[in-house]
Amino acid sequence: MSTQAISHDPMLKFYRLVVGLLVVGFIYIIWPYISNVVTMLIFTFLFTTILLPLVDYLERKINSRGFSVLIITVVSITIIVTFLGSFVSNFVDQAKDFSVKLNQEEYISDLTNLIQEKLPAFDLNETDNQTALVSKIQGYVKSTLQNLLSMVGAVGGFLFTTVMVFIFTIILLFEYHHFKKSLVRFLPNKFFEVGLRMIYNIEHQISNYLTGQLLAAVSVAVMSIVGLFFLNLGGANLTLIVFIGTIAGLANLIPLVGPFVGMIPAIVIAVMNNLGNDIALNHVLFGITPVPSPFYIFDIAVMFLIVQQIDNNLVTPVLVGESVGLHPIMVMIALLIGGTLMGPMGMLFAVPAAGVLKVIYQEVSFITKNSHLL
Amino acid sequence: MKNAIWTNIFRNWQQTESKTVMTLKQVPIFKGLSEREFLEIETIIHERAFHPKEIIFKRQAPGEAMYIIMAGDVEIYIEDHNDNKNVLATLEQGDFFGELALLDNETRSATAAAIESSTILVFSQTDLESLIERKPSLGNKILLNLARVTGARLRKTNELLAVTQKESA
Repeated sequence: MSTQAISHDPMLKFYRLVVGLLVVGFIYIIWPYISNVVTMLIFTFLFTTILLPLVDYLERKINSRGFSVLIITVVSITIIVTFLGSFVSNFVDQAKDFSVKLNQEEYISDLTNLIQEKLPAFDLNETDNQTALVSKIQGYVKSTLQNLLSMVGAVGGFLFTTVMVFIFTIILLFEYHHFKKSLVRFLPNKFFEVGLRMIYNIEHQISNYLTGQLLAAVSVAVMSIVGLFFLNLGGANLTLIVFIGTIAGLANLIPLVGPFVGMIPAIVIAVMNNLGNDIALNHVLFGITPVPSPFYIFDIAVMFLIVQQIDNNLVTPVLVGESVGLHPIMVMIALLIGGTLMGPMGMLFAVPAAGVLKVIYQEVSFITKNSHLL
Repeated sequence: MKNAIWTNIFRNWQQTESKTVMTLKQVPIFKGLSEREFLEIETIIHERAFHPKEIIFKRQAPGEAMYIIMAGDVEIYIEDHNDNKNVLATLEQGDFFGELALLDNETRSATAAAIESSTILVFSQTDLESLIERKPSLGNKILLNLARVTGARLRKTNELLAVTQKESA
């Protein structure tokens, strides 16, 4: 029986379908137990893909892979620690300023007057039922403690995952080529060359996408910082602009949704800094238009929209290009599926994962069409 | 009697050259490489086992790698429309084939199959690209050797062509 005849055997097709369904069912059942490990491995693979060109470049210069990995590790840790340290200290200062502002009597009365003026149904002085109030406060304290405990747990889990991903990434960077060799050892002889090409194409697909996205994120961060700087010149009184820009850049890694997430910290800080400032409250869009923009909210939104337009129409097409080559509708479907399965994390990985699936599909269809050559 | 602890400690010192490195040293494409460079190639090269009569690659299939015979025999042949086999060459331990796949993306010009149980080393185009990227001096040595081998084969082909033309004239 020829290969063509075998591949069109209806029983074989049915058998493959049953095996496929069994595999999917098995993964669905064990997923809750392995999801953390899989997430760690995906992150490890992504970080390795991002850092691999740098390690290879250094290896070429200093002729030692071990030292190359060490240098990249030390530099990465230094950058992350410096950035986070600076962010935390600046954020604490910002929070202190805000709490001092809130403690001042006139701000509280201003805020109370504002609330009573805008929302007359909301009576702040209603204290008739003292017992109900005490039990309400007790409930708040209890839920706050519970939230704190769960937050400590989540932070612990996050730290554990981060440390493990970091260790895995170092090992994989050091052993990458050896690891790849071990991986292809399991390929049957018949599919060996095709398998090598598929792995190479997947590597390139992900590497191009990630490099492009990272460069686009950096450009969004820089443009946002410049935009926020100009808004400050116009009196927006924004602080932490480097961090807001960086968050906007990072949020930009999630297609479609990210850009809107990026502007939230800027708006929050604008409101925090300008609370009680009548000029900021009565500000109009760009100071010249008739459109009201309290606390510069719409100025910030418009600035971010301009940054997004520049990114979408000029920067991303050049840097990312058609690295993944997916139709916009496919990107949206991938994002919806990723978001439903794994939340924001799923949205972050949705497009590169869809790109990988596309490469696999192309290679499998090539194998199917040219099965007589294998 | 040998002391097991000392044997274990000095195990790496007594390590002899692997069979892979010994095979690679017979191949002109890896001529002039240092011991360290041979070890580098050994870490990335793939070792594959083939059964008797198992096809290594078919004619017209896209070529991605060159093959070096570590053990066993391989025949290179072309089949006509009636499945008649025209054997072009029979290769043995230390021989290599399919090296043009490292340079171009053309399809295979003949079929290769193992005659008996064979162990074959596979050096792919992507491995070579990775070496050129990470270890340019090693990559360049291999490329230069590849050019020499291809040039020698071209010269031989020209000589054969000249002889054939002379005979037919």
